[in-house]
Amino acid sequence: MVFSTPIFLFCFLVLTLLVYYVVPRRFRNLVLLCASLLFYYWGEQAYVVIMFLSTAIDFTHGLLVERCKKRDNDRGARLAVASSILFNLALLFFFKYWDFIAGSLQAMGLTFMPVLNIHLPIGISFYTFQTMSYTIDVYRGDARAQRSILNFGTFVTLFPQLIAGPIIKYKDLGDQIDSRDASTEKFASGVQIFMVGLAKKLLIANNVGMLWDSYKAMAPADLTVAGAWLGVLAFTFQIYFDFSGYSDMATGLGRMLGFEFLPNFNYPYISKSITEFWRRWHISLSTWFREYLYIPLGGNRCSKARWMFNLLVVWTATGIWHGASWNYLLWGLYFFCLLMAEKFFLLKLLEKAPALVRHLYTLFFVVVSWAIFAIEDFGHLTAYLKVMFGLGSVPLADGALVYYLTGYLPILCAAALASTPLGITVYQKLPRRAAQVSGAVLILAGLVLCTAYLVDGTYNPFLYFRF
Amino acid sequence: MTKKYSIVLTALFCAFIGGIFLVSLLLPKKEFSQLENRYLQKPPELSLESLTDGQFMEDAEDYVSDHIAGRDFWVAAKAWSERLSGKRENNGVYFAKDDTLINRVDTPDPDKLDRDMSYVDALAGNVSVPVYFGLIPTAAAIWSDKLPAGAPTADELAIIDRLYFSTGANTVDVAGALASHKEEPIYYRTDHHWTSLGAFYGANALLEAMGMEPLDLNNYEKATVTDDFNGTIFSSSGVRWVKPDQIDTYVPGDGVKVTSYFTGQPQEGSLYVDSYLEVKDKYSYFLGGRQPLCVIETEHTDAPKVLIVRDSYSDSLAPFLTERFSEIHLFDPRDNLTSVKSYVEEHDIDAVAVLYSFSNFASDKNLFLLGR
Repeated sequence: MVFSTPIFLFCFLVLTLLVYYVVPRRFRNLVLLCASLLFYYWGEQAYVVIMFLSTAIDFTHGLLVERCKKRDNDRGARLAVASSILFNLALLFFFKYWDFIAGSLQAMGLTFMPVLNIHLPIGISFYTFQTMSYTIDVYRGDARAQRSILNFGTFVTLFPQLIAGPIIKYKDLGDQIDSRDASTEKFASGVQIFMVGLAKKLLIANNVGMLWDSYKAMAPADLTVAGAWLGVLAFTFQIYFDFSGYSDMATGLGRMLGFEFLPNFNYPYISKSITEFWRRWHISLSTWFREYLYIPLGGNRCSKARWMFNLLVVWTATGIWHGASWNYLLWGLYFFCLLMAEKFFLLKLLEKAPALVRHLYTLFFVVVSWAIFAIEDFGHLTAYLKVMFGLGSVPLADGALVYYLTGYLPILCAAALASTPLGITVYQKLPRRAAQVSGAVLILAGLVLCTAYLVDGTYNPFLYFRF
Repeated sequence: MTKKYSIVLTALFCAFIGGIFLVSLLLPKKEFSQLENRYLQKPPELSLESLTDGQFMEDAEDYVSDHIAGRDFWVAAKAWSERLSGKRENNGVYFAKDDTLINRVDTPDPDKLDRDMSYVDALAGNVSVPVYFGLIPTAAAIWSDKLPAGAPTADELAIIDRLYFSTGANTVDVAGALASHKEEPIYYRTDHHWTSLGAFYGANALLEAMGMEPLDLNNYEKATVTDDFNGTIFSSSGVRWVKPDQIDTYVPGDGVKVTSYFTGQPQEGSLYVDSYLEVKDKYSYFLGGRQPLCVIETEHTDAPKVLIVRDSYSDSLAPFLTERFSEIHLFDPRDNLTSVKSYVEEHDIDAVAVLYSFSNFASDKNLFLLGR
């Protein structure tokens, strides 16, 4: 099930909240677990088995790690962690990368791996990373092993962040799973964040997404230079508002249930360097990679060559985490190169440059990166990039560009403004009374508008089925 | 956040989603949406199979969306919101000039068109009588100057030219006939069909291609049968701010014998079916709408017999043909699997016309029957 459907908002959420708050407190996790399993079963049916399997296996491994540690058996504890990581990676590898590798090998004439046409279980990259963090956190002593399998199942399946993140580490959530406070204040702030996310998804992302789809569907010969840029700019907004919209909805739903999640996006498009962009974009993923991959590899406390190698590993992994396809790998390596350049000399140069130049520099490379991200077919991607840089022997603009530009200009401007903290700054400067009234009015208006777009939802894609 | 304010927000949110849930649950369910002109999703069937293959979930999602309280309001609100945000289209419908709604036409797959043309050519080779082929362009092509500037749509006229160039059938220049009268109301503003006036120019294009005497508009008296017609594009667009269309007729409905085969069995029909003027689907006033076969016999018993391979555009065209033919057989290959060739031989047909609107020709999957 996805958040941006009428059945989620007007049936699933209503009933879940109702039952959650009616039953005695000690049954809340059970309610959540059942609701989450239903939530996953709704979209994936048989794959719900993965939920049970993940829960059972990681739960046992956690206990095993703790027992070994108590007996000072570090070797045993390490083995248990390795075994749990192996299980999670095997799960991820099989469902996500098997067909990609088999297909690539077959293209080279090697046929020992058959292509199985595996349907990718929704959210697998998010929840395998979440469960992987558990045994590691227990081993490192950052969290205690969970004693109740019911509570652990609740952590694994927790529906607000199950299918599109944020990736929550066990050490950040473990205590909240065991006990958490719910209050009207928390619920109301959850409503605010959820509505911001819903509006981001339905009113902005889906809207500009249609614009990108029009350009993505065009044959390269039918594109124009300006049109190709408009298209990828539309995708730039679509991916941000869609992805951060989902994160906001997750955070909001979490708060309605009493949870507190860490922020996942922090206005990435106002960054003044690529380094800064990655501190603001999909924070839960970069933190995960930093804590569980980069630092264990040795981080930057090693030789320069080793440090570069560590970064290469992290960015290769970041690339293919987003999808089993060559363009995602290229996308990861593209950022590796940019970050290397920044670390060695660019950042020093940029510090002397005016802010505008630094913003334009960052936006330029980010926008180009989205073209690589959004077009999986290499032939199409090269042709599209050629057009963008004037090498496609197509006109600069055409009638369709005028049509799209005029029709989408208001929404693009709104998206640009909403990519900056301007709105929240103004809102916080309002006198208390005015802020309260406008807040309530905005939420009501948002509910009405979002319902209209939900009901007549002819275009409502789920972008993360490749993640 | 103060306690009071947080109670207000919480209550607002819960009342809204809970209210819609409750009202939708309690409200009596409609089977058919008049406004959207379509059947709504039936309650999902609960079975082990539908639960394991996901059919139940798919149906349930559509069911909730289709039967949500105030659905008509939400659909209209979205169209309004798109318009106010500067968009000039919604759900594939352009907000065109003069209160007109026009469907965007996607460029069809050329291979599919070529395959379909081979069926038309096979028909032309199969039967011993002349075969005429006419494609009726949509309003997006003929009224392109009413579209928002630069609005993308298929280049129908160029595609029609290409298909006409290669076919072995005799071609009917419907596009030219309509284009030279594009200042007149030849299409409905809220429906994808041509008006009776458009059909009149189409009929003359057909007669001209057949070498027959054209009709004179001055011989007819225009009668407006309704001015409250909200057509198919009105339904799909969600646009509720345009004024309704009027339906005109030119040819009186008497003096002909119409036999309709709605169910496969012959029954007495009529050129115009008044009861449809009372419902939403008013275009079915012409001949009563889609049917596998319809035979019209006229007083001109010495005139030739024509078979039209039809789509719904032919329903408003047929009245004009009653002047020049003794029998008009309207044959719909979507619902009628009889071989056209044997039908032509059996009924002594003198000419066959394959007459399709561009959009239907590009999407119809049953044209292969023509070649059998």
